[in-house]
Formats: sequence, structure tokens, C-alpha cells
Amino acid sequence: MINRLRLDKYSALYLWAFFMVLFTILRPDTFLTTTSFKLVTQENVINGVLALAFLIPLATGTYDLSIGLNMSACLVVINWIAKNTDLPQGVGLLLGLGVCLLAGTISGFVVVKLKVDSFIATLGMSQILTAFVLFVSPQTISGELSDAYKNVGAAQFFGLQRFVWYLLILAIIVWYVLEHTPLGRQMFATGGNPEAARLTGIRTDRLRWGSLIASALVAGFAGVVYSWKVGTYGQSIGPGYLFPAVAAVFFGASQLKGRPNVWGAMIALYALAWGVKGLNLIYTTQQWIRPLFEGVSLLAAVALASRNQIIKIRKRKTPIGQAVLEDLGVSPKEAAGA
Amino acid sequence: MADALRIEHLSKTFPGQSALVDVDLDVAAGEVHALVGQNGSGKSTLIKVLAGYHQPDPGGSAWANDEPLTLGDGDAAAAAGIRFVHQDLGLIGNLSTVENIALTAGYTTGVGGHIRWRDDVRRAREAMDALGLGSIDVKKPVDSLPPSQKTAVAIARAISGWEEGANLLVLDEPTATLPGADVERLFEVIHRLKERGVSILYVSHHLDEVFELADRVTVLRDAHKIATVPVAGLDHGGLVELIVGHRIDAATASVFGSDASSVLRVRNLHGGNVHGIDLDVHEGEIVGLAGITGSGREHVLELIAGQLPRDEGDVVVDGRVVKNYNPRSAIDAGIAFVPADRKVRGTVGPMSVRENLTLSDLTPHFVAGRLRHKRERDETHSWIHKLSIKTPGPEAAIGALSGGNQQKVMFGKALRLAPKVLLLAEPTQGIDIGAKDQIHSLVDQAAQEGVATFVATTDTDELVRLCHRVLVIVDGQIVAEISGGDISAEKIEHTQLQTSRRSA
Repeated sequence: MINRLRLDKYSALYLWAFFMVLFTILRPDTFLTTTSFKLVTQENVINGVLALAFLIPLATGTYDLSIGLNMSACLVVINWIAKNTDLPQGVGLLLGLGVCLLAGTISGFVVVKLKVDSFIATLGMSQILTAFVLFVSPQTISGELSDAYKNVGAAQFFGLQRFVWYLLILAIIVWYVLEHTPLGRQMFATGGNPEAARLTGIRTDRLRWGSLIASALVAGFAGVVYSWKVGTYGQSIGPGYLFPAVAAVFFGASQLKGRPNVWGAMIALYALAWGVKGLNLIYTTQQWIRPLFEGVSLLAAVALASRNQIIKIRKRKTPIGQAVLEDLGVSPKEAAGA
Repeated sequence: MADALRIEHLSKTFPGQSALVDVDLDVAAGEVHALVGQNGSGKSTLIKVLAGYHQPDPGGSAWANDEPLTLGDGDAAAAAGIRFVHQDLGLIGNLSTVENIALTAGYTTGVGGHIRWRDDVRRAREAMDALGLGSIDVKKPVDSLPPSQKTAVAIARAISGWEEGANLLVLDEPTATLPGADVERLFEVIHRLKERGVSILYVSHHLDEVFELADRVTVLRDAHKIATVPVAGLDHGGLVELIVGHRIDAATASVFGSDASSVLRVRNLHGGNVHGIDLDVHEGEIVGLAGITGSGREHVLELIAGQLPRDEGDVVVDGRVVKNYNPRSAIDAGIAFVPADRKVRGTVGPMSVRENLTLSDLTPHFVAGRLRHKRERDETHSWIHKLSIKTPGPEAAIGALSGGNQQKVMFGKALRLAPKVLLLAEPTQGIDIGAKDQIHSLVDQAAQEGVATFVATTDTDELVRLCHRVLVIVDGQIVAEISGGDISAEKIEHTQLQTSRRSA
């Protein structure tokens, strides 16, 4: 019974359903309303974009921890251009993305050519971008962006702000590339076994490099969304966005397919978002509730998925047969030296 | 004086395969005792039973220094003072010599449990000095040391505190991965141990090492002990005879008509353990490469296919030059490579059978901007059928299949490219007899369809079964070519043991 529910693959959906029922009962007047639906959907678009940014390189087995700061970098450029120049704001947007393009290219170079672990390379890039952001503007910049500019993303469309739909389009594109093109398949092969992928003729270095550029650009786009949505730059914006994105991707990776995937990440993101929303209605002043909830949910979801993995492995070891012979007796390496 | 180790009636059976049958072995105190035999003769299994990695069949018994010893129990072996240096050494690369030794021997600690580094450093220096390597920097990470010194560190670690109860040092193919000059240095180390009266069980492929180092030698063949003899009364030919025996080959090679044109052409290939080889494989021909571990056999295909960088040399397929260290270029030229060590270089673990199979070329299924999963599944079904792959279906995880069936998927992945050249490294390693036959038939079939096939394997019977021609590599150079009716396991084995890097 329990197994048929596929708790491992659909835990986020069950969790989501559980929150909806629970908080609807507890807060029938405020929880399940059109307003909160809009609010939760719109509030999490930036997290969603960043989750996609983190997901792309992760498919190739590469971490990009600089997504939060790429977002900041793009945001500060947009605001600085609007404040200090007469250039059209669209130019600022492009320049902002240009900075991210450069950052992603450098990260890729460091990872692929200098053979630095991506975890460290992008952590270093984060600090360099922090320096860039502080250099451009240590002070908050607000009120510089025109309503016309903001409306490009923030205007209403079918009942929601446009950027919600942009996220949907972006998610569909990333999903399509990852799941329905040879490029995506090759990226997953690179993440799954880089050596085997390379021997199959896949240009694994290019894929990793390219995926870091893509993730920097998508993270820059999160900065663009922020500029439409809020419009203000402040130096503390950015780093705090890393966790929700990473959590959504890892939680999501345990969902649906058993590897990082777009819809798993999106479902995980919104399941957690609704949970947070419900908790905020009940515990209105306790700020610590949110991070506690997010942390516990991530650990529980990933642990649940790993538990199933462990059971599979244990089951496989028991029957005496070829698999055991291979595991113990004549694994390739031993036989070569026998 | 008591024997350092005595084993009687040791047997070990794996499902469907006897690895050791009623084997006796005795190592006298203070002697260097060599253990030799072909691949699959049971040497490795014996060492693994001794180390407690495998459980022996009931009925065997063993004594260390006249004390009964439980076989198949690592703790008992350690308590009996048996120390191992395995082929992969088991050192922790980013730690120093001092730390590697201390991890086994225990840190010397002072008040409050702090490590007395100065004592540990002195101990490591003394240990290395005793091996004639007093000059190495014991504080450097062991990964930065040359291979022979790393082996020496592993030995130093194994014999640290030797006087307090150690009994026997087991060296499992210590020279298999060492370059020639380093082997000499390692020999000096072993000679020093011998002078100190350390009992050593020395496992090796290299017969000249046996003659150089050992007092007595035990020969295993096909899971049986053939003989234990003093080295002094033995010559090279005699030892080869003991190892290889006289055998009748079940399947004999077919003769290949030499009028076909050469498809794969390799000239002056250098890189890894390979030092300048030329070879040609013709259309429809199956050529084998034989050689003991460390001979360069394991690197030739990798150099051709772009897995390892070539130092020098040209690879040409049908007039098309294959770029160095570039698998893409090799594939584009028409080379399909099925690597050894399937888990590391072959399969992509998290992916399904379908995804693994079609990975070699996705373009036929990329129609109108979309990868057609249904078409992939159809193709996968046809390969499952064609190669008799046992799998729940195309969507099963590759890891859920048995080794033989995983290997068939790797074959399908290579063959679907319709290659001109098929490179096979250890194509049937670690898979059961039934699947092995099927894979051999597949290779025959591919060759009949005109594919130039080149097989590097340690399995001499496989070479006999498959090949029109066998090249024998010794010390990175091809020393013999055996063709057609002359191919026999005996001849291949004789030839690959015949010469060596030091007597050459």
C-alpha cells in the first residue's frame, strides 16, 4: 500500500496536498483565497528562476553557487545605469546580463581549463561578484526605474503578473532542452558518468562550460525579475536566495524521475512555498518558523528518497548469483590483476 | 623453525566456478615465497581469502607460526601478524608518509591525547631509512612521490612495528604498475627486507622477478596447485611449462585470407606503457592483443580511441587521421570502442538501458526538433531482441542488469554506430559463460559483416576462440605475431612470458 503511493517519487505532491488541506481547515478564511494564490505564485517567481539556474549546471554534475550574486550583479547594473546615465533602461538590462555572461564564462574557464572543483570555483566567483556589486554601489538605489520599464514584467496578464508567465516559459524551455533534445541527454550523461560520456564522444568540457554560462544568464534574469517586481537595489539582496533555489532543486531531484528535473523542482518549490504561507498565517510574528520549516522539509524529503535507494541496494545484495559473483569475485579490476 | 604460514586443503567455490581446489601452501620463516599463475588461476582469490575478503569453503585449515589461523577472517589474519600490500597500495594520497604510517601503526600520543608529531616523524624516517629510502621527504603528501616510493611507503606501513608480532608480508603484484626503472629500486627494498629475515609471500606475473627474489615458488593453474619448487633448480622454460601446462585448445582460430584491405592503421604508437608499436587490422579481420599486466596491453586501445593521450604516433582509419586524445574524432573516423572497466568508463549509472544504448548517437531520433523517446524505445527493443539482452525493458536502470547483459548493451551502443573499426578491451571480463559465448558470436558476426576488430584481453582462451591473428606485446613493444592455425593458448602464454623489460 505504502509503496504503491510511491512516497519517494511524489512526496512533494503529497506534502503540498497535505498543506492545502491542513491550512484550509486551520485558517479557512485567509488561506485558500485568490489573493493568497496570486501572492504565493508571484512571490516565488524569483526563487523559481534561480532554481532553474541551479538546475542547468547540476544536470552536468556541476554546482553553481554564484547564482545569488549573479542576480545581485545584474540588479545593481540595471539600477546604476538608470540612476547615472541617460541610456534606455533596456540597455541597462542587457548590460546587466552581459556582466553575468562574463561571470559565467570565467567560472566555466576556471572549472574546465583550470580544473578547479565547481563548488569552489563558483564560491570564489560569488565573492568576486560581491566585490563588483559593492564597487558599483554600496548604497541602496531606489525609485530610479520607470513604471514603463517595470510594466514589461510586472503588468497583469491573465490575472497574474507577466513574470509568472515568463517563469513558465523559461521552465518549459529548460525542460524541453533537458528532456527532449540530444543536448539535454548529453548533459545528464556528463553528470552521470563524465568518463563514459567523454568516451562516447560527448564534449563534456563544453557542456559544463556552457551550462555555467547558461546558469549565470538565467540567474541574471532573476535579477531582472527583481527589478520589475521591486525595482530597488540593495546590497544584501541576492545571497539569501541561494538556499530556496538549491533546496527546490535537490528536493525536486528526488521527485518524479530520480534525477534533477524541472517539474520536480517547481513542484517542490511551490509545495514548500504554500507550507510557509500557511505557517505565516498561524505564526504571524515568529520569523524563525520559515527557515526551520524549509530546512526540515528538505532533509526529510531527501532522506526519504535516499532510504528507498538504500533498501534497493540491500535487496540486490542478498541473492547469491551473478551479481554477487561480480561484486565479490571477479570485478573488472581484480580480474585484471589475477 | 616454524612455518610463517601453512595452508592445507583450501578450496573456494564461486557460483558456477571453482576458484581454488584443494590448495596447499607453506611459507617458511624468513623465505621469499613466490606465488605465480595465469590470470584466473586463483592467486588473487587465495590472497583475498587470506586477507579475509572471501570466505573459503569448509574443510581447509591454516596455521601461522604453528598457531591455528581462521581463514576468511581479516581480524584473525591481522592478529596472526600477516601484513598485506595490495596492488592498489591503499595509501591515502593527500596524507604524508608520516600520517599514512601512523594511521596503521597508531599515532604516538602524549598528555591529553595530543599527537607527538616529532616521534611519528622519527618513526617514519626510520622506517623509510630501513628500506634504503632515508632521503625522501616524509612530510610530503604520498601522491607527490614517484610510484616506487609510494610502494615503499605502503611496505613501510605494512611492516611498521614488525618486531612486535608480525609474521608474514604479502606483496600482491607490487610491480604491476611500476615503470621499469622503479622496479629496480623496489627490488632493492625487497632485498633489504630479505636481509632482515622478513618472510614474504610474493605474488607476481613477472617470472624474472621470481628468479631474482624468491627462494621457492608455488605455481597455480586452473584453481589447482601444480607444484612448489625451489627456484635454484629451475630455469625459465621450466617455470613457464609449470604455469602454462600442456593444454588442448577447445576452439581453434580460423585462418584469415589476407587479400582484404587494411582499415585500421597504427604507426609508431607511443604513450602510457606503450613504446612504439605498428599494427594493421584489415576489413573483416579479428586481431588480438596479448600481454601480461603492465606490458602495455592495457593502454593500446585507449591510445587509439582517445581515452589516453598519445606521446607520439599516428592512427588512421580508411585514410582518415584520428586526432590525439579526442574520442569524438575517433568515433567520427569510424571507431567504436567498448572499454574495459564497464562501471567506470562504460555505463552511465543513473540512466536507463535505452538512454545508455542510444547515447552513442542521438541524431537518428532527433526529428523535427525533438528527441523521440518512442523511436528510441523501438530501437532499444530491437537491440534487446537482437543481442538477447535480459532486461525488464528499455526503461530499466542499467545497474539492474547483470554484468553480461550490461556488456551487451555496451555492444549494442557500439554496433549501432555501424563502425568500420571495433575496439574491444576485456570484452567478457567478469561475465558468465553463457553471455560470454553470445558476445563471442556477436564479435564473429560483426567481423563477417566487414568490421575490422581489435581485441585486447588477458583471457588467452578468448584470443584463441576469436582471433585470426594475435599480437603479443612485451614491455610496450610487439614481440611476436601468431596467425591462423598457429594460435594456441600455450603459444600465446609462452610468448608473453618469454621476454621481459629487464632481460630485454
